[in-house]
Amino acid sequence: MERRKFIQSMFSASAVAVVATPMGAFAKEEKKASKKGPNDMSFDDAVKAITDGKEVKDSDKVKLSVPEIAENGAVVPVKVNVDHPMEEKNYVKAIHVLNTANGNARCADIMLTSANAEGYFATRIKLSKTQEVVALVELSDGSFIKSAKSVKVTIGGCG
Amino acid sequence: MAEKRKSMIKIKPKKYKVGDIVKVDFIVIHPMDTGMKKDKKTGEIKPAHYIDSIKFSFDGKPFTTMKVWESVSTNPYFSVKYKVTGKGKITVDYTDNQGEKNSKSKKLKPKG
Repeated sequence: MERRKFIQSMFSASAVAVVATPMGAFAKEEKKASKKGPNDMSFDDAVKAITDGKEVKDSDKVKLSVPEIAENGAVVPVKVNVDHPMEEKNYVKAIHVLNTANGNARCADIMLTSANAEGYFATRIKLSKTQEVVALVELSDGSFIKSAKSVKVTIGGCG
Repeated sequence: MAEKRKSMIKIKPKKYKVGDIVKVDFIVIHPMDTGMKKDKKTGEIKPAHYIDSIKFSFDGKPFTTMKVWESVSTNPYFSVKYKVTGKGKITVDYTDNQGEKNSKSKKLKPKG
């Protein structure tokens, strides 16, 4: 009697376990999906949203300085210098700092005016893994130029 | 509701004249949560909390505006250049995605 009960309980327990494992796996998957950030955007979408389909040229005028190897992905210094006059009608309109592999490709959009006198911007950004940082510059005549550099990230900084 | 945040504006170099181009550095203590990190104590995912817009102005006239997303580091630092036109006040207004509004200002005193 005792033995039969014991075996029965064993069976029911294993049945529960069998049912529970796929449920657990499912729950895990759901969690992974919810790891998406609130305003994720791919790099191509971000570029399209900024340029509206216009051509973007690579240019030496944009000087992007980032470290080649970033030990800590949570703090990556980025500096953008645009070699372009800042006159009243001919100036750097905006600098967009983008990345290629984070959940949200946009880091910061900076709208400059002629009062800035120099197309310069510096900040620190987070990078999740080894990827490229892109500085996309909009000039006041509506044309776009860019510069990209890859950064090796040892420890990702996006949580 | 509006929490008082520590922030700082630095003008570099320290001595400048009218017509000089100075660097305006703005640093603020802010968590810049991405909405993906877990709270170590409670195990719950922290909601996204980041600065989303910044406005630099001189005597009420904005000269640089920024849109920022969560990819910017914790305790962010932003630096732009500005051509000094005379005495006045540089003000930085910033808001975050939870509706917190703050501002910080610093006087510009060009010499000579």
